[in-house]
Amino acid sequence: MGAVDLTQFHKTFFEESLEGLDAMEAALLALDSGSTDHELVHTIFRAAHSIKGGAATFGFAEVAAFTHVAESLLEEVRSERRGVDGELIDLLLRSVDCLRAMLDHTSHGLPAADADSEALRGELVRLVSGEAAPAPAAATPAAASVDGWAIRFVALPHLLQTGNDPLRLFRELQQLGQLDVCRAFVVDAAPTQLAELDPGQCWLGWELRLHGAVARADVAAVFDWVEGDCELTIEPIAAASVAPVAPVAVAPTLVAPPVAAPAAPVASPAPASAPRPVRETAAASSEGSSIRVGIDKVDALINMMGELVITQSMLSDIGEHFHLSQLERLREGLLQLERNTRELQESVMRIRMLPIGSVFNRFPRLVRDLERKLGKQVKLELHGEHTELDKTVLEKIGDPLVHLVRNAIDHGLESPEQRRAAGKNETGTLRLDAYHEGGNIVVQISDDGAGLNRAAIVAKAEQRGLIRPGQEVDDAEVAELIFQPGFSTAAQATDLSGRGVGMDVVRRNVRDLGGSVGVRSQSGKGSVFTIALPLTLAIIDGLVTAVGEERYIVPLISIVESLRLRPEMVRKIAGGGEVFHFRNEYLPIMRLHRAFGCNAAITEIERGIVVVVEEEGRRVGLLVDDLLGQQQAVVKSLEAHYQRVQGISGATILSDGSVALIVDVCGVVRLGQRGKAAA
Amino acid sequence: MGGKRAAKNKQPPAAADGAAVVCLPADCRLAVQMALKEQLQQVLQHGDIVIDAQALERVDTAALQLLVLLRRELEHNGGALAWRGTNEVLHEAAALLGLEQSLNLPTATSA
Repeated sequence: MGAVDLTQFHKTFFEESLEGLDAMEAALLALDSGSTDHELVHTIFRAAHSIKGGAATFGFAEVAAFTHVAESLLEEVRSERRGVDGELIDLLLRSVDCLRAMLDHTSHGLPAADADSEALRGELVRLVSGEAAPAPAAATPAAASVDGWAIRFVALPHLLQTGNDPLRLFRELQQLGQLDVCRAFVVDAAPTQLAELDPGQCWLGWELRLHGAVARADVAAVFDWVEGDCELTIEPIAAASVAPVAPVAVAPTLVAPPVAAPAAPVASPAPASAPRPVRETAAASSEGSSIRVGIDKVDALINMMGELVITQSMLSDIGEHFHLSQLERLREGLLQLERNTRELQESVMRIRMLPIGSVFNRFPRLVRDLERKLGKQVKLELHGEHTELDKTVLEKIGDPLVHLVRNAIDHGLESPEQRRAAGKNETGTLRLDAYHEGGNIVVQISDDGAGLNRAAIVAKAEQRGLIRPGQEVDDAEVAELIFQPGFSTAAQATDLSGRGVGMDVVRRNVRDLGGSVGVRSQSGKGSVFTIALPLTLAIIDGLVTAVGEERYIVPLISIVESLRLRPEMVRKIAGGGEVFHFRNEYLPIMRLHRAFGCNAAITEIERGIVVVVEEEGRRVGLLVDDLLGQQQAVVKSLEAHYQRVQGISGATILSDGSVALIVDVCGVVRLGQRGKAAA
Repeated sequence: MGGKRAAKNKQPPAAADGAAVVCLPADCRLAVQMALKEQLQQVLQHGDIVIDAQALERVDTAALQLLVLLRRELEHNGGALAWRGTNEVLHEAAALLGLEQSLNLPTATSA
């Protein structure tokens, strides 16, 4: 048994358990919002059950013990012996949080249980035992007071031939609680003579008692595999009859050590954690993350590979005995190759795409908690959960979204009284949308709250010197102000917002993903925050430009316009800077050849081309020699192969095999400003 | 090892008092039960049977059931089942299945 290395399954266990917890949470929230679907209870129960099973298998005793009690409670709900109320859901939601933390600790090789988890477990135990039996002693809630199960198990003759062995079943029962064999007997139908006996047939029956806070489902689960191969009855032991129980047919002294010991994980509070059988968890968790891919996507890939192989063999066939008359076929083949390659690329990219629903799923819980904390009523609407996003983008977009949702509830939506006074429905609506638009994924967070507080924002901006007192600002500029670093109008810092993390961080995070974030707001009607994200970080659309002998790629998303300047449009300003007039404003000119030190570049502005780029609300003109065309660039990390370079976000390989650097517009703008400041 | 060989012995060795001794093989599970049964059948007429479980490493319900039924038949015929060299494996399995009394196992793990 011990030969199998279970550590290899740990990661899967953690992933699946976390997914199970997510499902539990979602179902709990659905129950909380008044759903009476019995299937929800089953979902919650199943999730808890499989986490417990897995944790026990891998020797995470604390997780198993905790889940075990939660499961007992759930079993009571499932069997309708206990009603569902807000209090119970609160307790179970806290258990979900606690289990998440425990799994996290366990995955890092730390002790799973702490004072909080033990306290919560105590609460669960009290609730379970408090109703199952009139707990006589408060001091020892777990072990003595709870009842157990009387099990009558009679094997049918063919039981052994199914590969099952009562010995193993009983060992499993021992894991659940203290097992007493009251009676073992030979059934009447058994052959009386050895000569007639087929040793492969089983003629035994047992009466067992299992003591401890064990859910009926757990007991039944042990016998899952022998259903139909035995006669089985499982009945609760009446609480009163627990005390005098003494194993009838078994000599207790002999069996005491092996039988009593496994009861410990359930009965004793286990802060002195059992020795962990596996120590490699910390190392295992540092491995790269994995991705689960739908089988349809993999099948599409395999199909595509097949096509590619056919095309390749066709082309090599032409190449073997090439004659000029086959030129047309060659062209055709190359065209097909190109098509295959493109499709293959798309399919491979799709593997990295995951539905945004996995991020959206955390919001019902968040909204519920905030509602309670802030005394507001919020209806959350989720749309477009199936919109797919690159896994990397998905992982990093979670925090900014959480921030925006928090803000919307904390600042945006009013209290029920205020809403009533404003003639609105007392319950505010928060809507999350995700959809494709162009080559982007758009995520919108809209609320029907009060909208941005223009007066407060302007006052704050004046106070911080972002605008001059009395300066005229239009709505777009006001909206832009809230993205300035350290800008917060919250009169008092709540523990939700005002942690010194502002909208500027949200914007920076979104920028890091190659996206943009903006806000539209209408006073009294609400605000809409819109995040636009690229489909993937691995490929960008870029404009290939020439600077001297070098090629630079400017991300298309940052480009406003490209133009050739006439000499009279350029002004020199004090300190050596150059600006030009562009749509009612003066923009600084960044000479890329100077910034990157390129030789043989065009230095006369009127002979080159100026590419106007915008980043963080600032525009600059980049002077390049020429525009060579638009191209999709597969981004290669410069850091991974060389080191980080200011003003460059990565590199790519052009069709002729040469390397082109990708301009980090943000960095270049900053470089330009620093140059200006130094000058 | 010795147990395995013993399980195949046609002529069972006799104990000092004349009872037949049957050694259980190391792996005494379902697969060898038919052979074990035949062996036991052969010595059933001896009167008393002594089971030597010294070599026992793995055992299952089928094996214990066979021994329980053996004892039942033996006692019915006026014979007795005794043990020599019981070990932890046997005691653990018998205790778990609640068959210690039915098997007439000694109450302590002594060889």
